[in-house]
Amino acid sequence: MISLLLAFAVGSLFASGAYLILRRGQIKLILGLALMSHGVNLLLFGSGRLIEGRPPIFVNKSEYAQTIAWNLPADPLPQALILTAIVISFGITAFVIVLVNRRHTVTQSDFVHGELVPLLREGDPFDFSNSSETDQYDWLAYEVDEVYDSDEILPGLPPLPPSERDESTAMEEDQYQWP
Amino acid sequence: MALSANLLAVPAAGPLLTAALILLFARWGGRTLIRHQIALTTLALCVNLVVAVLLFRATAVQGERFVLQLGAWSAPFGITVYADGLSATLLLLTALVSLAVYPFAVATIDYHRARMGFHPLYLFLLTGVNGAFLAGDLFNLYVFFEVLLMASFVLLTVGAQPAQTNSGIRYVVLNLLASTVFLVAAGIAYGTLGTLNMAQIAERLPLASPAVRTVFAGLLMVGFGSKAAIFPLFFWLPASYHTPPPAVTALFGGLLTKVGVYTLFRSFTLFFPELLLSWQPTLLTIAGATMLVGALGALAQPGIRRVLSFHIISHVGFMLMGLAVALSGNNLAIGFGLGAAIIYLCHHMIIKTALIMAGGAVELHMGSDRLASIGGLVSRQPFLAFLFFMAAISLAGVPPFSGFVSKLSLLQITLDTRHWVVSGVSLFASLLTMLNMMRLWRESFWGDYKRPSRIPSRILQSGLRQQLMLTPVAVLVLLSLALGIWGEPAFRLSMQVAQQALDRQAYIEAVSPSTQFSTRPANGLVALSGTDGMNSPQVVAGFATPTLFISQ
Repeated sequence: MISLLLAFAVGSLFASGAYLILRRGQIKLILGLALMSHGVNLLLFGSGRLIEGRPPIFVNKSEYAQTIAWNLPADPLPQALILTAIVISFGITAFVIVLVNRRHTVTQSDFVHGELVPLLREGDPFDFSNSSETDQYDWLAYEVDEVYDSDEILPGLPPLPPSERDESTAMEEDQYQWP
Repeated sequence: MALSANLLAVPAAGPLLTAALILLFARWGGRTLIRHQIALTTLALCVNLVVAVLLFRATAVQGERFVLQLGAWSAPFGITVYADGLSATLLLLTALVSLAVYPFAVATIDYHRARMGFHPLYLFLLTGVNGAFLAGDLFNLYVFFEVLLMASFVLLTVGAQPAQTNSGIRYVVLNLLASTVFLVAAGIAYGTLGTLNMAQIAERLPLASPAVRTVFAGLLMVGFGSKAAIFPLFFWLPASYHTPPPAVTALFGGLLTKVGVYTLFRSFTLFFPELLLSWQPTLLTIAGATMLVGALGALAQPGIRRVLSFHIISHVGFMLMGLAVALSGNNLAIGFGLGAAIIYLCHHMIIKTALIMAGGAVELHMGSDRLASIGGLVSRQPFLAFLFFMAAISLAGVPPFSGFVSKLSLLQITLDTRHWVVSGVSLFASLLTMLNMMRLWRESFWGDYKRPSRIPSRILQSGLRQQLMLTPVAVLVLLSLALGIWGEPAFRLSMQVAQQALDRQAYIEAVSPSTQFSTRPANGLVALSGTDGMNSPQVVAGFATPTLFISQ
């Protein structure tokens, strides 16, 4: 009976998790991932023995023999597995929340942009982002300006000409029109 | 020289401890401290390479198997660390690839990313990858998967540019789903077989009911297959690999999907080799579709790194094809397919890393990797152009290089087992690879010199940086050439590794999960074979923990 209940609980957690992940909102995405990891934890819990009132550890042989003659002892391993899984999913959920937050501050939107953008934009079926091409290479400009000016980590770079040292003008000059 | 099994701890623990040490001064790292981080990381990578070479010599060449029971707890109770030829081959390649990408990363990663912990993350990723190759039980495999995933999440998104966060979310979510599926498989294994130790699972799985076997195999196939980017599950890869700095892409392209491929090899050869025959049509269909989709998708991509990362998928299809015919063979020996897949894996890890690094150098020089807006680099960077060309024809499978040997051997076994369609598909995919490589070469190196960014790129003009970026590429290309020239000894070695991996009885005996408690499992297994529910067969599991306390 209790195992049937557990099976239903695991199933509904997975189903609602999958439903939430398939929605467009990012908060729902996080909640869906969390629900799914709870589903797995419950499944691991059910993979142990669903019994009560029996010890997992025996001090002497005769007590053990007596116990298994009647019934099985409790199994402590799933709890350890669940604990590990909880810690891992906790860490990952924290990371996803930070990532979504960062993305929110960048794009000012909670939605994953996808369905409304033409799918074959610029020949890339998997790029659903609404960021322009220059955004994609932001980090390059960033590196050129910020890092390769300094010869301190690795010596040997030729110095920038003074006209291009100014970061703002360099960024302006880089407004290349993408074909 | 006899190696101690304790050496097995080094590939996972060494990078982990070094990374922990580096973390002490990562966050507030001034430039001197970052130089110390670089020195420590290089040291850890070198130690890792030495250990990997020693292990490779002992296992793949001399045919030994190493088992380390952590804390001397015997097999099903403690943590088992296991290495045979297959693990050691992958450890060696991982060590090579990570050591080769590192100078490139040092030369190209900016100060801000270094300050945010790029160097310790590099080592954490290595810890996860090495640990996954060495894990002897399913749950530790899951833990190491998570370690490498976590490190890869951060490496992918560090810097937090819009494109990176966009792709980061897709990468994170799809990989998390794959991990969840894998964890479900582990839970079902524990619930039905009462064990998580891989040797014990291999021992008990043939006695379990077919339903359990099918569900377990299917879940593992989905979980590992999605890590390996096989056909319907590859979408996370092309969505994300082009966004981080090129050094990170090179590392990911060399290592990450290969962990999935390794676990597929390991689980199919160890847990359910019979499915290699009964599922062969499915596996071959997936392999063919993976090859074709990877190559065709690459053809549609507009940038160098996008083309190269789409190509990874195509290559995974080749490896899966080798696995699918691992137990078949008419004139050729059983295991020829797996041997061919292993040598293909070696070739792929080496040359794909080299190619992504060379492409990354082009991109850093041009300020963009869009093929439409770059060109004519051959006049400015002839050495880079030469290296890129060599790597590209090796990937396409032109004779003196390793690509030829590996593709030829895969073709030999598929023709020998009369799988005409899939061998035709693989030839067509190779042709498309050639086409793609020609396209990359023509667009970025030939024609008039044009460069979209007007910020002068000085990254390839500095002598030291150029050496740091191009020397590892040259080394990897030379390795690929050596693998092609000494193709026969290399192939003999990989056949030996494949035979060792297919010998599941020897695996079980090496780990020997139940020798000390031989009285109980025999009874338990009778009960096990008749049940497939979630709660009933814990007969076996029941003996696990308590018996230990009696025996003391």
